[in-house]
Amino acid sequence: MKKKWLSVILSAVLAVGMLAGCSGASEEAAADDSKPSEEAAAPVEEGEATDTIRVGVICSMTGGKAVYGEGAQNAIDMAVEEINAKDGIHVEIVNGGKVVDDASDSKQAVNAYNSLEPEEPDAVVGAFFSSVTLPMAELAAEQDMLLLATGATNYKVTLIGPTIFRNCFIDPYQGKMAAKFAAEQGATKAAIIYAKDDDYSNGLKDAFVENAADNGIEVVYTGECTTKDTDFTAQASQAAASGADFLFYPCFLDTVPLLVQQVRDAGFDGIIMGGDGWDGSDTTGIETYFDNCYFTNHYSSEDTAPEVQNFVSKYTEKYGTDTLNACASLYYDAIYMLVQAAENGGGTDTASLVKGMTGMTFTGVGGTFTLDENGDPEKAVAINTYENGQVKWFTTLQP
Amino acid sequence: MLSEENTLGDEERTVTDVSLFIQSLINGLNQGAIYALIALGYTMVYGIIRMINFAHGDFIMVGAYTLFYTIPLMVSYGMPAWLAVLAAIVVCVAVGVIVEVVAYRPVRGAGSMSALITALAMSLFLENLAMVLFGANPKSVQAVFNLPMVEIFGAKLQCKYLLTIGIGLVIMVGLQLFVKKTKLGKAMRAVPQDKQASTLMGIDVNRIITTTFAIGSGLAAVAALMYCSTYPRCTTDMGSMMGLKAFIAAVLGGIGIIPGAMLGGILVGVIEIFVKVYIAPGWYEAITYGLLIVVLLVKPSGILGRNTGEKV
Repeated sequence: MKKKWLSVILSAVLAVGMLAGCSGASEEAAADDSKPSEEAAAPVEEGEATDTIRVGVICSMTGGKAVYGEGAQNAIDMAVEEINAKDGIHVEIVNGGKVVDDASDSKQAVNAYNSLEPEEPDAVVGAFFSSVTLPMAELAAEQDMLLLATGATNYKVTLIGPTIFRNCFIDPYQGKMAAKFAAEQGATKAAIIYAKDDDYSNGLKDAFVENAADNGIEVVYTGECTTKDTDFTAQASQAAASGADFLFYPCFLDTVPLLVQQVRDAGFDGIIMGGDGWDGSDTTGIETYFDNCYFTNHYSSEDTAPEVQNFVSKYTEKYGTDTLNACASLYYDAIYMLVQAAENGGGTDTASLVKGMTGMTFTGVGGTFTLDENGDPEKAVAINTYENGQVKWFTTLQP
Repeated sequence: MLSEENTLGDEERTVTDVSLFIQSLINGLNQGAIYALIALGYTMVYGIIRMINFAHGDFIMVGAYTLFYTIPLMVSYGMPAWLAVLAAIVVCVAVGVIVEVVAYRPVRGAGSMSALITALAMSLFLENLAMVLFGANPKSVQAVFNLPMVEIFGAKLQCKYLLTIGIGLVIMVGLQLFVKKTKLGKAMRAVPQDKQASTLMGIDVNRIITTTFAIGSGLAAVAALMYCSTYPRCTTDMGSMMGLKAFIAAVLGGIGIIPGAMLGGILVGVIEIFVKVYIAPGWYEAITYGLLIVVLLVKPSGILGRNTGEKV
């Protein structure tokens, strides 16, 4: 009997512990978000529904890529606050002002997209990853929903339907620019390590390989890994043994520090380069390993353009610099693009937004660009490097 | 692998091949030593109470997070970073003993299924607790060792990898001697043979089991240090995959047998790296575990296991 009671009490303690943990976290999250969402919701209650665009936002809020989601949430809060402080078209973020979590997973993305449906948004912004955005784009195309993808750089995304747009450059372009940059830096032999289970990684790799020969670069080693690997010593030793002077690693930030350290440990001291997935990589403790590393990105916070400086200073003041990444800038621009689309199209319903957005020219944090017939922008690419582990703007390559 | 022929002469290629082989071997042994240290934790607990402690992988996660927080402290007080392992050992041993006393001891009489489920629940509990305490973002652990690189036959080898292998071997030999030669070790071997008879011989069974957990958790802390020196990152779910692989290593070598855990760990580590280098990187898990199935079909009790007909 005594034992039974003990086990009941213990399991109760466990359960309470878990609940307490969970509620603590959600309260914290709620506290963070409550302010902007109230502000966002306010105009609707005043009955201005016709001038308000209802927007659903999707990004990764949990897991290894949660840092993007935090940036996205802050950026849309900031954009909505600015827009709603002025007269004219207002923006309301559905789901109580909160970004819906896609957990960086394509199945979760479908759930996230479907969860927005009952709220009847006029447009959906997201997601940041190609693998996550592709299934969402299929659904959006079926329902004629306007989907404005942010970081999804896979070229297929906007080909799915006429209502799919994006405000970032596409993979082939990023891979091409990486090859161009490699040649400019005097590289002649390139090694590639890419994540086989990821659309983004495959897209960049293919584009790099395609453009390598034109830039006088020979690809001497191609190694595969997965997005869940932590051990790259095998690929690293092969890349070092291949005699390459340039290594392309088009993968995401969570594995970048691991790869960079292991590649340097294997004795490779050439250039290591990645795409926008590197943005926000943690260099703590291995700062010197990141010397001679570069990555292409959507913008640089050191860019002197007034739009960029305005965004950077406001964001830093409110949220600090921890989540000030390209993802934040893209979500910020996305909200403004919707407002401009509503002005161009003469209404806040989905059809007017699509009409307004097609072929539009926009100036924002990401520079000035025009959407082409697929809904893709042609943009300049910022190339960043590292100095003592800090990201430093290196150069900007024009299209 | 692809077009080396065009760029390198025959002689040069042989040198590259040899150095790549040596480098891969060291990489494999390094990874294998980490697996072996974790596998030892599984094997010790299984050897004594015939229970698979699925939360063992998460003890490494606890150790890694402790290192993440204590290494900067050590460095700021001017002490070498690796001393943080002492803090990690203390924390891991505490967690291991608490888990044993609070969760496992009460269900010990209730059959192996209850013990297994409790262990799985404990694993999930620790992972979620860590997520609440430390957040979901991966954390980068500061460099543990700042050791130079040595060059042998053209292969560039990291001293820290060699150190990991060395420490792994020393601990395994030490543990084997401890179990075989000391009184406490003798008691540990007696408990699984007959609990009642052990009690009659004056052995405090509960104390022996708790000690076993303490040793296993301490090893997990050392494994965490070794892991972090090669892969300087901790995530809340890092323990589950690594724990699974180490468990497989323990089974491969013969679970319950200390040399078996060493052998299994090193085999899994070396095979994984060699498959990645020489066969197909995308297939390394499939091939490694396919091999495991083959070994178990031929010798169900593991490579060093005695055929006593016991099921794992």
